[in-house]
Amino acid sequence: MSVGAPGLLAQEDRVERAFETALPRSPWQLFRARLRADKVALAALGTIVALVLIAIFAPLVVKLAGAPGPNVQDRSAVDAFGTPLGPSSGHIFGVDPLGRDVFSRTVYGARVSLLVGIVGTGVAVLLGVTVGLLAGYYRGWVDTLLSRLVDVVLSFPVLLLGIGIASACSLGNGCVAGAVTPGVRTVILVVALVSWTSIARIVRGQVLSLREREFVVAARSLGASNRRIVLREILPNLTAPIIVYSSLLLPQTILLEAALSFLGVGVAPPTASWGWMLADAADNFDTQWWYMVFPGAALLLTVLAFNLLGDGLRDALDPRTER
Amino acid sequence: MAAYILRRVLWGVVLLVLVSLLTFAIFYVLPSADPAQLRAGRDASPATLHQIRVSLGLDKPLTVQYWTFLKHLVLHADLGYSYFSGASVGSLLLDRLPATISLTLGAVVIWLLAAVPLGVVSAVRRGTWVDKLTTGGALLGVSMPVYWLGLVALYLFANDIGKLPLLPGAGSYVPFTHDPWKWLTSLILPWLVLASTFAAVYARLLRGNMIEVLSEDYVRTARANGLSERRVVWRHGLRAAVTPLVTLAGLDVGLLLGGAVLTETVFGIPGIGRLNYDAITHADYPLIQGTVLLAAIFVIVANILVDVAYAYLDPRVRET
Amino acid sequence: MRRSANRALSLVSLCIAAAIALSACGSSTTTGGTGASADNGAGGHRGGSLTVLTSQDMASLDPGITYASLDLNVLAATERTLYTYAPNDPSNIAPDLAAGPPQISPDGRTLTVKIRSGVRFGPPVNREVTSRDVAYAIERGFNPHVANPYASTYYGDIVGADRATGGPIPGIQTPDDHTIVFKLTRPTASLLAQATVLPLDAPVPPEYAKPFDAKAPSTYANNVVSTGPYMYAADRGGRVLGTGYVPGRSVRLVRNPSWSAGGDKRPAYLNAITIEIGGSPTVSGRQVLAGRGLVLADSPTPELVKRAYLHNRSQIYFSPGAGTNYAALNTAIAPFDDADLRKAVAAELDRQQMRTVRGGAVVGDSGSHFLYPGVLGFEQAGGQQGTGVDFLANPQGDRALAARYMKAAGYPSGKYTGGQTVQIVGLAGAPDSDDAQIFQQALQDLGFKTTLKLVDSTVMYARFCGLPKARVQACPNVGWIRDFADPQTVLDVAFNGNDIFPENNPNWPQLNDPAINRAMARAELTVGTQQRANAWGTIDRMITATAAAIPWLWDRQPNIFAANVRCVPELWNQGHCDFAYTSLK
Repeated sequence: MSVGAPGLLAQEDRVERAFETALPRSPWQLFRARLRADKVALAALGTIVALVLIAIFAPLVVKLAGAPGPNVQDRSAVDAFGTPLGPSSGHIFGVDPLGRDVFSRTVYGARVSLLVGIVGTGVAVLLGVTVGLLAGYYRGWVDTLLSRLVDVVLSFPVLLLGIGIASACSLGNGCVAGAVTPGVRTVILVVALVSWTSIARIVRGQVLSLREREFVVAARSLGASNRRIVLREILPNLTAPIIVYSSLLLPQTILLEAALSFLGVGVAPPTASWGWMLADAADNFDTQWWYMVFPGAALLLTVLAFNLLGDGLRDALDPRTER
Repeated sequence: MAAYILRRVLWGVVLLVLVSLLTFAIFYVLPSADPAQLRAGRDASPATLHQIRVSLGLDKPLTVQYWTFLKHLVLHADLGYSYFSGASVGSLLLDRLPATISLTLGAVVIWLLAAVPLGVVSAVRRGTWVDKLTTGGALLGVSMPVYWLGLVALYLFANDIGKLPLLPGAGSYVPFTHDPWKWLTSLILPWLVLASTFAAVYARLLRGNMIEVLSEDYVRTARANGLSERRVVWRHGLRAAVTPLVTLAGLDVGLLLGGAVLTETVFGIPGIGRLNYDAITHADYPLIQGTVLLAAIFVIVANILVDVAYAYLDPRVRET
Repeated sequence: MRRSANRALSLVSLCIAAAIALSACGSSTTTGGTGASADNGAGGHRGGSLTVLTSQDMASLDPGITYASLDLNVLAATERTLYTYAPNDPSNIAPDLAAGPPQISPDGRTLTVKIRSGVRFGPPVNREVTSRDVAYAIERGFNPHVANPYASTYYGDIVGADRATGGPIPGIQTPDDHTIVFKLTRPTASLLAQATVLPLDAPVPPEYAKPFDAKAPSTYANNVVSTGPYMYAADRGGRVLGTGYVPGRSVRLVRNPSWSAGGDKRPAYLNAITIEIGGSPTVSGRQVLAGRGLVLADSPTPELVKRAYLHNRSQIYFSPGAGTNYAALNTAIAPFDDADLRKAVAAELDRQQMRTVRGGAVVGDSGSHFLYPGVLGFEQAGGQQGTGVDFLANPQGDRALAARYMKAAGYPSGKYTGGQTVQIVGLAGAPDSDDAQIFQQALQDLGFKTTLKLVDSTVMYARFCGLPKARVQACPNVGWIRDFADPQTVLDVAFNGNDIFPENNPNWPQLNDPAINRAMARAELTVGTQQRANAWGTIDRMITATAAAIPWLWDRQPNIFAANVRCVPELWNQGHCDFAYTSLK
């Protein structure tokens, strides 16, 4: 976090305070009305939908644009000294030193970013919510143990932890007895492992106050099982903060994936990834600007869209926002 | 209060041990380069390799190795020797620390100086173009990958490769003691780049806090009592709104002192983050352990300081 | 110029090297241009200081350990070995610490060297060097605390060396202060005399170094003493670490007050040499081309080679014969235990493109066997024409031929359907990573599923390519460069089937061909330049025919320097400016 995501701590704080009072059960209509009125958030949502579609239909997009595939090495697009050619009608974003089309790679790069961003965030949220629920509901030694675990992870330099795990798991058959194979899965694991702690803290805090509320006490006195209380009574009340926090976490995980790839421990080549492209471009960005500008702009646009949507969701779900 | 601090410090020490254990597990148990092979030659026989392992203590069980490491650390403040360069880890850390401290402290000053006025103004003038510009810019700042921003900054302003050669570029860092002026100019670009992301986060946070605070009862009362708006904003509003920011700054400084890998990489600054990254790529375990521990110490100390400050202000905290 | 730590395996990146006389190279070089011409440096201006920029740290300052290119460069200015190469003559050894040519007994089993008198250690030792210091230097190479990488390869024939662990070796005798005698178990004295150009025999004062060597690992590097014209800046006690060497940051060389110019051929024009470590080659390279008093010790990026070649031709030097880069295919396990599959890969691979991403024709010739231009035996192995194997005939690859070999291997469609995923391990960082990806693409075009892992060179050799149990199937970024002017140093360790070790294995393709092994055993003992050229040239042909490794570049290492630097390239290394001969204009 020291490097990729300075925002998380701050956002955690915001989210926590925004949901100090749990939402009433059904504010969805209000939420939808508010979101519909938020043009910026809608535009961001539109952008994200477009990006997801581009990622899913990347082969089609590339074909329609008349570009070669992301791994096609066009020998003729590199001169005798190995200098790649810049934007031209044949390669609208230029090519990289291997003669691969930068447009095509930028389009395919969306796949890695979004996949790692969405799945990585999903895993982190799942992990964080589980830990937060257990710690907050059971309190006592469970809470102590889990909170201390969070402490340990938080005192680790997060990006370095990521680099370490990524380099360890990208050897041979991967790690954890082969469950985590090198490539995208490793990156997802790393991203999730370094991102789950903040959501665990938020959920724990919420659960601590929720478990004393009347409806929980009532359920308990009616003899409901712990499992039922946690899943049926408490969890639904956490939906709003979880949604908001996930949406704020998502752009951070995308940045983290790109940072890992930039440092050479992300997805394996030749898979196109924006972070990888930027790392490659760093060698000659002064003369081959196209190689740095296009993937960088794509990354910026994606993260910006998710941040805007996250802001919009937070405002729409925040019970105190006045309109 | 003393008991509280003591408890926090003790837990901090336990945390450090846990962090070192985790590092040991990740980088040692999971495959890393074999230091005996790093040292031995292309034709070294298995017997030679074995002798090197014995001389480095690598033939012992992992638990013994870890225990030896802890013992040396506690009794002699000795972190061991880099497998790669053979230099002592302590000396390597000391050598890199000034660069990281320079980078961090300069950046934190800049981001606070930028974020506080921007946050306040956009909160007070909500909805105006100033606010829109600030919030928009802040959002952009939050979304910008710091290394990309660094590359763009070098592309534009570095005096060796930039289009508008204004400032020293990558690899120009010199220690303060060497040449203060060069030190200053070489750090301007990295400071600005590193600070931009943080400034964006802080401005956003401050704006939100400020809006909340200004709607609180006591501020309204102050206003009703006829205090000037300026006084209300700066005296009452800012003080309350800025406190969480200071806390956050403490934690962020702690994190950054552990090394800002990306910024250090892009600008070629010989700091702790880069040292750790290089150690990982070389699978240089003692150096990995040293850098991770140093980073953890900074984080833990920052946390303790922040918590103690909080406890000092709010006695209820001490009880929990 | 990636350094590969102490374990040096070569790669172009590292180690030792050399090329034979320039004229030979000139005549055999077909493509590419040259930059500045090699200079012997005579008549340079005295004074001034040179700054060397490099992204890579030194592997070790210890002459008993180091084996990396930059280190050898530095040691050539700070140490005196028995024999050495003049910077512009990489094929004939010349006496340095030795007082005259090596005396080899008629049976080839005894080597006697007389040592020059009047050579003194630098501070803090300041005494005259004796034969005992040379003996100790070699003996400590066998000490596991020092663990010299090539001691057993080149000094292993000395009587008693097989049992040496740092103490006296019976086969090294010092009848007087100025004579050292090596007794050998095999008639290899002439090879040993040549091997003394490597820094292991640079004298080390035992009374000073023994306490350091008692530590595990030895800390002599932190306190190293010089005999050459330059020494590391050090504190009063001789401690270099922190003063003359800050790991990852800088090396500072100053004049050695104990050195006297008489009896040393090195002119030592410069007053001081500073090496600044850690800058990126992109930025440093530009600074070098535009600046004063600067040289770059890294390989310049293709972009910089192009710029220097087109606009600053006098500031770039292409060193001929800087090694062979090749892709090693693991012959021990599937799928490349099948020779036809290996040949298919060789035929498919666009070796010319692998060169293009490194800067094009100026940086070398697309290789077609392993003894590279300038090495003895190159012509005998087929020279520029190649050995005649069809799968290496076209540097751009031959798809039809590749398909034929696939058919021969039992894949009639021309695509691999064996289901084996090929693990490739290459070097991180352009242009090496680009080469790895071109290789990967060739495999994919043949229908192989692949995974590619890019790592640091140390990790690549120690964890993957040199570790048979890692079961890596292909290593596209390996390479070898000769240790001194003999073809054995190129082929023997890298392809000898008796050199396959469970770890630290330098025979990356794990080639174990009895016929080749037998031929090598004979060639090792062959005497006479022409005979050795024939013997090793034949072995090169045999190795090439197995397709266990695919040579893709005979490196012509580009080196760039500032306009006011009169660079004297070390042709025996990778053509970097020799600090002890280079001067400022």
